[in-house]
This record gives sequence, C-alpha cells and structure tokens, in this order.
Amino acid sequence: MTTGRKYLVATDVGGTCTDTIVFASGEPVRLGKALSTPPDFATGVLDSIRSAAASMGLTLEALLAQTSLFMHGSTVVDNAVLTRDGSRTGLLTTEGFEDTVLVTRGAYGRWGGLTEDRIKHPVKTDRAPALVDAARIVGIAERVDYKGAVLRELDEAQVERAVRHLVDRHRVDAIAVSFLWSFYNPVNEQKVKALINRIAPDVYCTLSSDIAPVPGEYERSSTVVINAYAGRITRAYLSSLETLLAATGYDGPVMVMQGYGGLLPAHEAADRSIGMLECGPAAGVIGSRALGQLLDQPDVIATDMGGTTFKVSVIQGGTIEYAREPMVDRFHYTQPKIEVVSIGSGGGSIISLEPGSNAPRVGPRSAGSRPGPVCYGLGGDEPTLTDVFMLIGYMDPEIFLGGSMRLDRERARQVFEQKIARPLGLSVEAAAIGVYRVAAAQITDLIRQITVERGLDPRDFVLHAFGGSCGMVAGMFGAELNVRRMVVPYTASVNCAFGLISADIVHEYATTALLPVPSPAEAVNRLFAPMLEKARAQLALEGFTGDRVRLDGAVDLRYSRQVHEVTTPIRGSVPLDDAALAGVVADFEALYERKYGKGSAYREAGMEMTQFRLTARGLMERPEIAAEATGGADAAPARVGRRPIFVEAEDGMVPSDIYDFEKLRPGNVVAGPAVIHTPITTIVLQAGQRGTLDGYRNVIIDFA
Amino acid sequence: MDPITFSIIRHRLFRVVEEAVMTLKHVSGSAITNEGHDLMVSLYRADGSLLMGGVGFLHHLTSAAEACKAIIRRFDGQIHEGDLFLLNDPYTAALHTSDIYLIAPIHYQGRLVAWSACFVHVFDIGAMNPGGFAPDAVDIFTEGFSSPGLKLIDRGEMRQDVWDTILNMVRGPEMVALDLRSMIACNNVAGERLIALFEKYGAEIVDDACRMLIEQSEQRLRERLRELPDGQWQSRQYLEVKGETYRVVLTMRKQGDELVFDFTGSSPQSKYSVNCSKWASLGGLFAPLFPLLCYDITWNEGVIRPVRMIAPEGSIVNCARPAPVSVATVGAIQSVNNAACATIGKMLAASERYAEESTAVWHANHFAIFMFGTNQRGGLSIGILTETFAGAGGARHVGDGVDIGGEIPNPISRMANVETIEATFPVRYLFRRRLKDSGGPGRHRGGTGGEMMIVAHDAPDGGIDYVVSGKGTKFPQSDGLAGGYPGALNDYVWIHADESDATAFAGSLADMKGRHEPISWGVYPLRGKDGLYVRWNGGGGLGDPLDRPAEQVVNDVTAGAISTRAAEEVYGVAFKDGVLDPTLTEARRRDLKARRLQEVA
Amino acid sequence: MARRRFSDTLILADGKICCGACERPLAAADRSWKEQAALTVVPVASLPGAGLGTDSRIVLRRFACSGCGSLLETEVALPEDPFLEDRIVVAG
Repeated sequence: MTTGRKYLVATDVGGTCTDTIVFASGEPVRLGKALSTPPDFATGVLDSIRSAAASMGLTLEALLAQTSLFMHGSTVVDNAVLTRDGSRTGLLTTEGFEDTVLVTRGAYGRWGGLTEDRIKHPVKTDRAPALVDAARIVGIAERVDYKGAVLRELDEAQVERAVRHLVDRHRVDAIAVSFLWSFYNPVNEQKVKALINRIAPDVYCTLSSDIAPVPGEYERSSTVVINAYAGRITRAYLSSLETLLAATGYDGPVMVMQGYGGLLPAHEAADRSIGMLECGPAAGVIGSRALGQLLDQPDVIATDMGGTTFKVSVIQGGTIEYAREPMVDRFHYTQPKIEVVSIGSGGGSIISLEPGSNAPRVGPRSAGSRPGPVCYGLGGDEPTLTDVFMLIGYMDPEIFLGGSMRLDRERARQVFEQKIARPLGLSVEAAAIGVYRVAAAQITDLIRQITVERGLDPRDFVLHAFGGSCGMVAGMFGAELNVRRMVVPYTASVNCAFGLISADIVHEYATTALLPVPSPAEAVNRLFAPMLEKARAQLALEGFTGDRVRLDGAVDLRYSRQVHEVTTPIRGSVPLDDAALAGVVADFEALYERKYGKGSAYREAGMEMTQFRLTARGLMERPEIAAEATGGADAAPARVGRRPIFVEAEDGMVPSDIYDFEKLRPGNVVAGPAVIHTPITTIVLQAGQRGTLDGYRNVIIDFA
Repeated sequence: MDPITFSIIRHRLFRVVEEAVMTLKHVSGSAITNEGHDLMVSLYRADGSLLMGGVGFLHHLTSAAEACKAIIRRFDGQIHEGDLFLLNDPYTAALHTSDIYLIAPIHYQGRLVAWSACFVHVFDIGAMNPGGFAPDAVDIFTEGFSSPGLKLIDRGEMRQDVWDTILNMVRGPEMVALDLRSMIACNNVAGERLIALFEKYGAEIVDDACRMLIEQSEQRLRERLRELPDGQWQSRQYLEVKGETYRVVLTMRKQGDELVFDFTGSSPQSKYSVNCSKWASLGGLFAPLFPLLCYDITWNEGVIRPVRMIAPEGSIVNCARPAPVSVATVGAIQSVNNAACATIGKMLAASERYAEESTAVWHANHFAIFMFGTNQRGGLSIGILTETFAGAGGARHVGDGVDIGGEIPNPISRMANVETIEATFPVRYLFRRRLKDSGGPGRHRGGTGGEMMIVAHDAPDGGIDYVVSGKGTKFPQSDGLAGGYPGALNDYVWIHADESDATAFAGSLADMKGRHEPISWGVYPLRGKDGLYVRWNGGGGLGDPLDRPAEQVVNDVTAGAISTRAAEEVYGVAFKDGVLDPTLTEARRRDLKARRLQEVA
Repeated sequence: MARRRFSDTLILADGKICCGACERPLAAADRSWKEQAALTVVPVASLPGAGLGTDSRIVLRRFACSGCGSLLETEVALPEDPFLEDRIVVAG
C-alpha cells in the first residue's frame, strides 16, 4: 500500500452511536465514538472519525490524509424502511399474481417477527402496511414455467403502458420487477428493464432475478420491493459520503459492509441496498470470528447485550450460519445474511410483575436511553435491568462511563422497592437478585435453543461478551451453559467497527437448478463456470488477482421428499471431479443428521441438488495486531476498593474486590468473586471464575 | 413457591415445548408440518391433565389430554420408563384417524412425573381416499387404521411387529414412517429436557410449580369471566354435504366464573364423514377460546376447569360409533370453532373492558383439497393445497379483518409459494389472488379470502387427481358481528375445457371456456386442458356497513377488495364520474337506512 | 339504573335494551329485542360476492333500529329457523 498512507479506518453507524476503529501496523488500536445523526448519517461518521483522530493527537484531515482504506457499515437502509422514508415504488409482476407481495403467503406476514406472546393474541395482530400500494402493482401478461420455458411472450406494448401508468399517474420514481420463475429464466424481466431504461431513464429499476435469484416468489418479490424502495436513498447516501470524505482529504476507496459479512465497493453497494440490511450486527459477528481466530479458538458463541436487546450468534470452526428467513421491520426478504438472534432483554429493559402470579418479567418494553433506567435520573420511573445491576452491587454510581455520569442509587432503590420488592414480599436485595436470575435464565434458554437448533453443544464453545451490559450477566449464563471459557474483548464497545476491519471483499453468486443425485460433476461444473468467470472478472476489476482471490463453492441439497435444504460447502476447488462431488453428498448427509437429528433423513426417495453457490473473496491486506508483553499475575495494584456484590454460589451479597481495568497489566489475574470496571462496561467474575488480561487487553475468563 | 423460581421454571417449560416443536419440524421435513404448521406438541402432568399447550392446531390440546388419560386407564400397571404409546381412535380421544397422537410417559428417579404428546397429520392412514380426508367413507372402518391405544415402544425397545403392521396398512409407508419418527424424536427431546428441569430443581419444586401454573391459569380465567357480563349468546352454523343440510347450534351461557357451551338443537349425525366425536367438539370450542379469552394466560388444565360442554349424543357434534369422521377437522369441528368464536365475540363485545378483544368469525371453511398422482419427475406426490391454511381474518373491534390473514385455531400457519407447488406437482397456476367482495361488509370489513385456478402441466399421466371434502359452498359460515355481514362462500369448479388454446392464460373463471361444473365432495380428475377453480371464504364483517367512512370504501374499491356495486349497494357510497361524491353518499346512506324501516312496514 | 353495553350496537338502560345510536328502547332486558327491531331479509345469493353454489333458501336477516335505521345485528338463517337469542342477565 502507498507509503504515508498507513491507516485503515472503519466506521460503523449504529442506532445510537457511530463507532470508529483505527488500525496501523505496530501501533495500538484506536477507538472513536460519536452520536449517530439520522437521517443525515454522514455527519456522525465524520464526528466519529474526528474523535478517533483526536485520541491520536491528529486532526480529522490529517488522519484521513494518511488513510489507505475506509470501511463502512450503516443502518441507512434499515432506517429508510423503519421510518418509511423510501421512494414511491411501483411493482410489475406476473398477471394473475398481483397480490403476492400484499398477502404474504397468508398469515406468515401477520405473525412473522412477533414474539410468542403476541402470536397467542391474534386479534391484536396485523401485517405491516406494505411498502408498495395495491394501486401501484401492475400485472404483466407473461409466463415462464417451472423449468424455465417461456410459455407466454412478453407484450412490450403492454409493459410500456404499465410503466407510463406508474410514472405518469402514480409518479413513482422506483420500479421493482418480479416475475414467476425469473430465477430460472430472467429474459422477461431483463426485457422490462431495458424498456424502462429507454422510456423512463430517471426511474430506479431493479429486478428480482438480479437481486434474489432464488425460488419462492413471495420472498423474492418482497426483497426486490425493499431494494427498490431504499435504492435511491442508499445511492444518494453513499455518494454524499464519498464526496464528503474526498472533500476532507481522503481519496481512497470506500468499502461497504453487507449483511452476509463481506465488503463491497461503494458504487456496487449502491445498487443493492438490500445487502446493507443489518450489516452492523453482521460485522460484529465477523469481528468475533476474527477474534476467535486471533485467539486460536474458532468455535464461538458471540453475545451482545446493549440497552434494548440481547443478541447472539454462533460461529463454528470459523463458519457462520446464515439466517433462514430474514426480516426487516416485519418484511420478509431473501438474501444471504448472517444469523443474529435477539430477544428484548437489555440494560434498559423494564422489569414488571405479571398480574395474578407476581412472576417478574424482564422486557420486552425498554426505557431506552431516554428516560432510561431510574438510576440515570432522567425522569425514568420504571425499574430496569440496569437498576437491578446497581442494586446487586455490580455498578459503581460514581464511576459509571468513566465517571462522566453519576447514578442515583437511592432513587433506583426506592422505585424498585415500591414497584417490585414490596409486592413480592422480599427485601430489595433479595428481589433484585431474583430478577437478575430470571434475566440470566432467559438468556441461557435462548442460547441453548439456538445451539441445539443447529445440533451443537454449548460446552464446545468459547463465549464472547460484547456490549455495555453483557459482562455483568455472562458469568451467570456462561457458567450454566458450561462453555469452555469466556472472553470480554478489549474492543467490546466498538465490535462492529472491529468487524469491518476484519472483513474481506465478498461477492455472493447463486444459480438455481434441480439436479438429481448422482449427477456427473460435469453438469455441476457447467453451472459454476459462468459464476466463476463473472467472479474473477469482478475481483480483477477491484484489483484482486492471484493469491488474493479465494473462490469457495457450495451446493444446497435436500432429500427429495423433505423441505429442509442444507448448504454444503465444497471442500476442494471448483470445478470439481466426480469423487469430490460424491464427497459433497456425503458431507450433506452428515450435516443433515447433525442439524435435524438422528433418523431424520428419508433417503429412499433420493436426494437432489437445488442451488449452486459461489463465494468470491478478495482478500484484504491488513496489519498484524501486536500483542503486548505479558507480565506477572498479581493484580493487586489495580484493586481500587471492596464492596458487597451478589455472588451466585453464596446465594447472597458478599464483600468482594473491585478492580480498575485501566490499571490492570497484561498477565494480571483477577480471582472471582470480583468486579472489574472498564470505561465502558463492567465485568463481573462469579466465585471460582478467574479473569486474565491477555496481551491484546482482552479479559479471558476461565472456570475453576 | 417463590415467584422467581416459578418464573424461571415456567419459562423453561415453555422452551421445552418450543424445542420439541422444532425437533418435530426438523425430523419430519414434510410440507404440511413445516408450511401448514399442522402439528401440536404439549406437556401433561402425571394424571394426564394439560400442563403447557404449545402453539399449533389448538383443537388438539384437550384431545391429547384425553388421549393421555385413556392410555393411563388402559395400560394401568404397564406404563414403564421408555415406553411410547400411539392413539388415533376418534371415539377414544383423537379428532380423526390421520392425526396420530404419540404419547410418552416421562419418569424421574423411577417415578412417573409427566407426559408429552404430539401429533402430525400423517402422509396417509389407509382410508378409502388418499391423504386422510375420506369423503367416500361410510363408517369409521373405511377411514383407515385406528387404535384406541397401543404400545409402540416398550422400555426403549421398538415393537417391530407393531411398527410393521401399521406401515403395512398405509400408502407411502416410508413417508408415514418419517412422520412417526419425527414424533418419536419430538417426544424424546421433550422428555430429556423435562428431566433436566427435574434434575436442576428437584421433583418437589417442579411439581409445585406445575400445580401453581395450573391454579394460576384457572384463577385468572375465572377472574376474567367474573368481569364479563352474565348472559347467554347463540350462534348457528349450517353445513351441507350432497344436498343434505346439517346444523351446529350453540348456546353459550356464562354465569359468574363459569362458562357452558350447549350444543342442544344440533342436527343428528350425518352418514358422511363431517361428523365429530365429543372429544373433538370439546377441542373445537377450546381452539378459539384459548387465543380469544386466554391470550395472556398459560394454556393448560386450569383454563379447562371453568368450562363445561353439553353435546347431545348421536348428534353431529357427538356422533356414535361407527359414524365416519375423517373430514371432522374441516367439518363439524370447524363449525364448532366458528360457533364458539361467534358467541365469545358477542360476549366480549358486551363488556366495556373487553370489547376491544371482540372479533367476527375468521376463516370458517377449510377447503382441504388433497392432490395425488404422478409428478413431472415420475414420482408419487400426495399433498394438501396449502392455500387452505390461508383463510381470511374476521373484522375486529380494533380494525378490519386481515386479507388472507389465516385463522384463529392455528395461529402460525402459512401457505406455500406457487413456485413450490409447481415444482412439486405437475400443475400450473393461472392466478392466485384476493377475492373481490369476499370480506363481509361492515364498519370494519372482514378480510378477503382468495381465488385460484390450476391446470395440469407436464404431467406424465396427462394429469392428476384430487380429493375434495369441501363444504361451505351453500351456506356462509364466517358470521358477522354487530350488524356486519358474513364473509363470502367457497366454490370449487371443475372446468371441462374445450380443446382450444385460447384459454391457456385465462385471467378469471369467466375467461375459462368450457363447461363449468360446481363440485364439492369426492375424487375428481385434473386432466388434459381441464381446470380447477377454487375460491375461499372471506372473514365476517363488524358493524353497520353504512357507518364505514366513505374514503375507506373508496380505498377498498381502488385496492380491488370490493366492487363498485358493493360500494354503492351495501356501503351506500355514491360516485360521480368515478369519484366519490360526499353529498350524494350522505343522501344514499340516509335513503338506505330509511328503506330498512319501510320494508318492514 | 346506569347504562351499560348489551352489544357493540345496543345498550341496556333503565332495564331496557335500547339502540346504542339513538337510545330508542326496543325491549325489556329479559325479552327478545329482535321482535321489536325493523327486520329486512335478503337472500345471500343476491349479495355482491355471492358464490355460484349459494343455497337459494339461505337468507341474511338484518335487524335495524326501528327508530333510526341503524343496523344492530345480522344473522344467517334458513327461513324455518328461529331468531338467535342473546341475553344479558341484569343483576338484582
């Protein structure tokens, strides 16, 4: 890379904060933080980079002038959908199927994305209002069948009338096109796009066969509608960000994170707004994977507990699971997207008692950051999990967020006593301990469910704890799940930005075709050939050749009479030979049984291949992170006090040592029960747990 | 028991059911289980009483409880750790033969502590017609294999002779085996997880929590009932099979904290398989009761205690052996669902506090069409048209019904994509969409149902066959509430095509040339260029249609939900040059109201 | 006696079932209000959206307030079947 341009800068725009991380060979990692500034997110991005620059004693301009690569993730698309701030969108679809996207495969769109509590109350459930009005959906006389044969030719005159109707009458500025079976034969969709480009060149046009070339017309249509709806906003946002960065002295490329965990150059990302959905949490998982590899422990359960939600994802042997039925706001879409499961349990989650039973409940309502927990003193008068943390001794009112905010313990105590402890007939401490246990148990149940769902055993995993609140609960659920060890990473507060910097350029390609098992390798290679060609050309265009290019194939297989498809990686390179293909089939059978249980495979009806995937990576050069030398185990110099905290093994409050993270040195060992305060979070070690600060300033927690 | 431990145990119990449901779907891998969610998993206490009902087809929750109790009675002294029982006899506890219950005792430290039970609609049960619904059946003996209880696994050992015997009696034995295996895996998971809970907290505490969970549900439902007014509410459903008409008549009486569902006045049992047994009726009334009255209460034995049913023996809702019942789940049971939904809706509407929970009847008519035949790859395909799960929402106090929004008794169903069906069966869809004017008119409009048409496509045998056990073509069943109109009816039309290519892309039933034959009961072919047209019912409306804001009526016309004729005649909206005319509308509405009085005089 | 709901469209006031819109009394609380309402009967087959197979005898009974014409209740019925009867027990 160019000399004088030694920094990699990554900025992630989240719902509340915009985080930056700066990397350079041989220098410590630097962090920056600023508030997000919707809807003009670019302002917050510059603020955040400026904050990182300041910590290095540099101006924003000086930092950017020395930056070789800028990586970026943003909630701009999520935000456009959630706030209904997208384009006036029209949809052209196969005649006779105009309602597909509106009726959401029946009840699926009514209950999809709801918690079980709400599903059990159907009278109060509705679909989200569609992103495209019924009046702006026009049926086109055309038809392709299940094997891709065109049964009915497109009538271009009718298409032209339809487009003019949408543009002139409904003033749409974006048109999505989704025809039945277009993923097998996109010819009719492509003709429509050519026609729109000719007669309405200002209209943003996007095809389902480009954006989501997979079976299932409802999900494919919903996807392309979202892509059309958010397309203009995404394009405008990325181009204004590039302009701003250029005006501030940066002239390198801007790389944008995708929900599948890879980067794309900004001009490519601009045409696939759908890919940016939930790219922040995806980056977080990539960050966790990178950390797992750095620490040589590739099996990771990554957990993140912020103000409103608890998120969890699973990385096995460096492999990340994709979500089967991703949603944004309550819209289904189909894209490769890293699975991140969440429940409404965070520091701001409100504690309530169930009428009738008095059983304590955590969330799903949240006090958010305003008014926030009672102890913030910002007017919140409903007790939250953060208040509970304080009442059981885990938070120090004086040094919250490095002392930048003082917490009101007395008020939290009063409110908690009145609303929770007294009705339960318990002391404040006993009630707070009880609520804390309920929260920890629910998290344990969630993690157990999603690991079991994949046929995995939590005991084989290392647990990463990210986010402001996770370090205060991980000692509980980590112990109950019996994970191998736990890590509270140094970058815990800017994990998504860390993920950006750990990511590669990734292009995902897929071809749908139904091939029986066995089929000659030749037939499979024929499907991969055009994808390989496209991928190599694309990466070459982006400057990746030779050993900077990695091409991984995978095949989706299923048993012919069953609905579950399993994406099975091809171990060797593509094209493959007959033996390698047989290996893929054998791997599929093993994966299937592991995931769906013993005896779940119905082999008698045979197997079939349904989808052929190619992941093309342009491997980024990135500096090695330097580990600091580790010293002695004695953590005594970092001990700053002693106070009672809740200790599970003792079933009560026990006076325990308090440590200041900033004073700990690599190699120091803290024995639980103890509390370590960092500037952004608190780490609680339960009895028997030992926390060691490693050379990267991660706290590694082992069980006795 | 302290509320905190209670809260944790309850959450765990709930997760046990969730995990077991997941196992069932994973192992089975069938479309009806995974797409239609035609399944149920629940936990029961040692005495067979319902402990934790999962979200599935809810009319099974009480029936599976009775199935547990029947097993306890029949196998007294022979229930061992590691056993697994099968029961599918409708006269013992099941709904119909194709919904098989597999029931497993759960032991902890050698003592029976609980039961788990689950069902799926199996691939086939050996009835006269493939797929389980048997319109040609004349009695229970022609509806396939049925057992009042047998031991399938003895102390962990599969009884191979029994297993082989069952599979010897069904079509597609491998697929039925897979269904059974998925239910075995499901019970295993439920058992393992429940035992882990006992290990962590001890038998006494878990048992206490279970007892408390049931008491609490009972207490909360009784409190709710006390808040509702005392009174009686009636509803009536008509069913028709081959020209014979049947009634399901319900009087629901509520006094204090008790609720009685009285089906006195319902028709004698039918010779056709639309009947249901008493356990099925009980399940049928609870299916809407759980989500309508107990949306925030755990579904268990406690909810069952304050409720009583009176169902005359020998009637269509309590038929006597050997009457056929294979179509019950979409026959008499669904009418019981509808009648109970209607009376509960009216009771809620009579309460200041609970009026917002009231609803007209949702999706009153499953059309349950099973297609079977050789598919385009030469294999055998049997399967339900999953559009039957995509009913219409009834209008609610809080808003319109949801168009093609599902149903109450099975809260999380969905229908398959057209592309999925065209890949599985040798058929081609001509259209699938909302059905205009199907939602019952009202101040709040009922959700629309849908319509679809299919033809054979690339079929090696020239086509396939299908079983239709539909009712609902003669009488509307999605009743309106408080002046709302009922939702529209179902139709099934066999189009005997003339052999011209002109209708290959017919955009509507009217476009489809040839003779149109309405059908509703039996086995029919889909061959050559013939078509099958199905339209399915809308949800009931709520309130006076003349009170619906005119702009909303106009929106409905624009969105294709209602016709201009309905807007004018039923909703009293007037258009001038295609645009809403508020003055004329007001006049027309006044006139329509006045005519309601004149016609009487 | 205080007013309370009888249904979405009817109220109970002074021991009588009354129209919720115009408050016209229709019947004593323990009597059938439907007998006193304005009844119009339409064949279901004549309604917009009726199916092809609709039974020719099945009707929609529409019960309106005999004072203001507001629609109070509907029921689907064969002509020989009685009115559905809903009652609310008034305490005391």
